[in-house]
Amino acid sequence: MAEIVLAYCSSHAPMMSSARMAAPAEQRDNFFGALDHIREEAVARGVEACVVLSNEHYTNFFLENFPQICIGLGEKNWGPTEEWLPIDKVWIPGHPGLANHITQHVLNVGFDPAFSHQLELDHGIMTVYYELDHDMKIPLVPIVQNCAVPPLMPVRRAYEFGRALGDAIRSYTGLQRVAVIGAGGLSHWIGTPRVGDIAEDFDRWFLERLERGELDQLLDMPDSEIELAGNGNHEMRSWLAVAGAVEPIRATKLAYEPVYPWITGMAVAQWETLPDRRPETSATAGAQDTTRREESLT
Amino acid sequence: MSWYQMHRLVYDWVRAGEVNSGDGGDGRAGFDISGYELTDDERKAFENRDIAAFYNLGLHAVLLNRYARAAGFARDDYRKLLEPFGEKEERKGRWQR
Repeated sequence: MAEIVLAYCSSHAPMMSSARMAAPAEQRDNFFGALDHIREEAVARGVEACVVLSNEHYTNFFLENFPQICIGLGEKNWGPTEEWLPIDKVWIPGHPGLANHITQHVLNVGFDPAFSHQLELDHGIMTVYYELDHDMKIPLVPIVQNCAVPPLMPVRRAYEFGRALGDAIRSYTGLQRVAVIGAGGLSHWIGTPRVGDIAEDFDRWFLERLERGELDQLLDMPDSEIELAGNGNHEMRSWLAVAGAVEPIRATKLAYEPVYPWITGMAVAQWETLPDRRPETSATAGAQDTTRREESLT
Repeated sequence: MSWYQMHRLVYDWVRAGEVNSGDGGDGRAGFDISGYELTDDERKAFENRDIAAFYNLGLHAVLLNRYARAAGFARDDYRKLLEPFGEKEERKGRWQR
């Protein structure tokens, strides 16, 4: 059976690639330092394939047919779509075996994702995937989520999808070491009068909830409240899907930088899935709940 | 009102310069809009590359952002164009309470 040997999320502002040097050096070093660490861990842990969840930015789908979730089943996918993104445009290997297994599994447990045998990958996946593997050789199963075009899947449903995704990966026999990755967020506005704003207070609160395992405070947020931290904040669905995939493990923040030249709260967080690598402070949400119950009895 | 047609037009125009961009083509040159059922305001917005008009006509924010970039507007520039239409947010999120 496959094991999720690496689970993390990263913001995916395209400017991290196209205007990398526009960010202050310290912020740039902190953010990319976290992604460098992740890349080294992926090598050390022998990641054989990765599953990357990210928002659909009107790249593959339009208003005639807009799936809430689409899983890339193909042998290869093309990216990045944007002509201005300074990442080599290549065919990225897929992993049809894992992708079909995931799709069948989530269908069996009550989700109805679309599927595609050839997706175009935009900055949403490509910026983060490139930082994972500069050679872009690690087989990639892309999962595009609707985080932008109402009506949207509730965030709790995105989390539940992540739980099913995690179960699917762990029940796959064709690989041993898989990474699951969320790409998007945190706070940002695009295409509105507030483009360029960052809700730092939300970003820090959101990351703290993930670190504390206080997910219920996130999972009942209506879209109208999510948007108070930007219309791009709907991409929290990718983060919550990863949280679901590895629950009850809590996240550890590796970096947070409000990078105004990139108009986005830029964060990297990891869920340590290897028990022998888990820091003492990175308990599980379940363990925290037990502590709370004990406190309530005293 | 032809909300869908306006979106379809903008989407097609943006994509004309992106699809299979590895081939180096640019389908935006000489883009033909005659097949789109647009209102006069929508047609003018496209012909004038009027970001504020598209915003007020309800163009989806993701598409507006992509259109602005494709049309050569820097973010700071299009923010200035949109700022007069912004509304002060009175609501607070749970993280602000």
